[in-house]
Amino acid sequence: MVHKLRLGAGSGWAPSDPQPALELIEKGNIDYLCFDQLAELTMAVLQITKTRDPKRGYAWQHIIDGMKMLLVPAHKKGIKLITNGGGVNCEEAANQVLNIARENNLNDLKIGIVSGDDILDKLDACRHKGWRFRNLDTGEDDIDSIRERIVSAHAYIGADGIIGALGEGAHVVITGRVSDNALFVAPIMHQFGWQYQEPYWNLIGAAVTVGHIIECASWCCGQNSVLWERMPQPWALGYPLTEFYEDGTAIITKAPDTGGLVNEWTIKEQLVYEVHDPRNYLMPDGIADLTTLKLEDLGDDRVRISNMTGKPRPETLKVQIGYSDGYIAENLTIIGAPQALAKAKRMEEVGRERLKQMGLNPDELQMRVDYVGINSLLGPVVPMPDEDSVNEIGLRIAAKAKTAVEAQRIVASFGMMTGTPVGVGFSAPRAPRPVIALWPTLIPRDEVPINFVVKEVS
Amino acid sequence: MPRMLLKDLAYTRSGDKGDISNVGILAFSKQNFEVLRQQVTPQKVKELYRDLVKGEVEVYDMPNIDALQVVMHNALGGGATRTLRWDETGKSMCLAMLYMEIEAPEGFTLTPPP
Repeated sequence: MVHKLRLGAGSGWAPSDPQPALELIEKGNIDYLCFDQLAELTMAVLQITKTRDPKRGYAWQHIIDGMKMLLVPAHKKGIKLITNGGGVNCEEAANQVLNIARENNLNDLKIGIVSGDDILDKLDACRHKGWRFRNLDTGEDDIDSIRERIVSAHAYIGADGIIGALGEGAHVVITGRVSDNALFVAPIMHQFGWQYQEPYWNLIGAAVTVGHIIECASWCCGQNSVLWERMPQPWALGYPLTEFYEDGTAIITKAPDTGGLVNEWTIKEQLVYEVHDPRNYLMPDGIADLTTLKLEDLGDDRVRISNMTGKPRPETLKVQIGYSDGYIAENLTIIGAPQALAKAKRMEEVGRERLKQMGLNPDELQMRVDYVGINSLLGPVVPMPDEDSVNEIGLRIAAKAKTAVEAQRIVASFGMMTGTPVGVGFSAPRAPRPVIALWPTLIPRDEVPINFVVKEVS
Repeated sequence: MPRMLLKDLAYTRSGDKGDISNVGILAFSKQNFEVLRQQVTPQKVKELYRDLVKGEVEVYDMPNIDALQVVMHNALGGGATRTLRWDETGKSMCLAMLYMEIEAPEGFTLTPPP
């Protein structure tokens, strides 16, 4: 029985550069390297990609280009790779990795494929049983209002399937929408033989907590950091790894001889990142309480975490339903002094009136105006400057549209063929983009069976 | 009482989940944390963010790391995938919090940034 385990985080979103992951393989002395590739929107985007081409739908930069760099050195060192970069097409992603293995004569390689997260074909059956998929953000009661526009529905599943595949000897495990967190919880539970029952909930809570800290990779080592002014070599950030002990304590550190920093503050800033109630950090594998843990900054980019606790996993799983929601049209022009503010206001008026002339209602389109350089980030929170102090303004106008054609017309109405003031700096407008809106909701765990298969190279 | 800004007492960092924006407030010391715990209320957060935050606000404490967690609902213009804001994921939402006015209690000694 091993008493500690070393896990690295190889990516934080798609596309991530694989170089820092290679550094972890070469210098990190790790047992597992785990890759989160999926932000909230990614699954819907991959779903649309797959609709156009059934051979796509996985995080291709990572699965093809990344694995070409990482698979051989990882396998030679006995490091197992766990990734959710399978997206909505784990089968095809696995085929790509099997090809890379064959080309490099890794004939003993086994790949696990986890499924069960895609619940699109379960929605109607659940709806008929009376489960209405209430929207957790808006409180809207019922998915019937968007049913015709739904393009994807994925449950955030836990570590179960990955644990199963590791148990059958998989060297690489490819998943779709498992929680970011489960990529780390799975190897820990597998290695220590923990079960989803007492007395393991505090220990699983510890694994969830540590997974939360390192799952965004560079984000606990100096990216987007409050310590940005004194971050060492932020252009060469090392990715993090944890030394996780069977007693539920852990050390967070990073690949040796790399830029960035792991200290009390970089760990704290990740601990609070995208957490709501810190006493109930809900994940499919367990509920972590982030208010009992103790941090100890050991120096030399090492932070020890102890006294982590948790509670039994929830009976429901989080689901993201993606649905088509029209288009966004936007345009940016740069307006210079003199009278930059006055010109921006005039141009805004021109855009608004032009829309009305085209028979569109600016308010219904939610037309939005930002002065980049003044208020585009914090809008009403910041004061407006005096006209004389403004050298130039980026005027950004954005609006919603029902169709791509309408979006294109709206962009034109904000642009260079209407009656705008003299001397405005135009550039090519950004293309209108389709919107996939997200409907966050829950599903009973029992409705989401998890499966896995293990494939071999030969 | 002397007036301070929250940035004199703490760091902040924000993230998103759907249309919910959260701002973590990391106090420079236990003393700073206790002052912030008293004064960073949902009401004050709502006043600070005005129309940027249309929904409810919750404030949670994390005394073990001298931190507060501010959770703001209906705060990102519909969420990253459909918002018309430039900062789709609200990474800059933490900046406004730095300008919240905080009153120094009698006898309070400010702990500066580490």
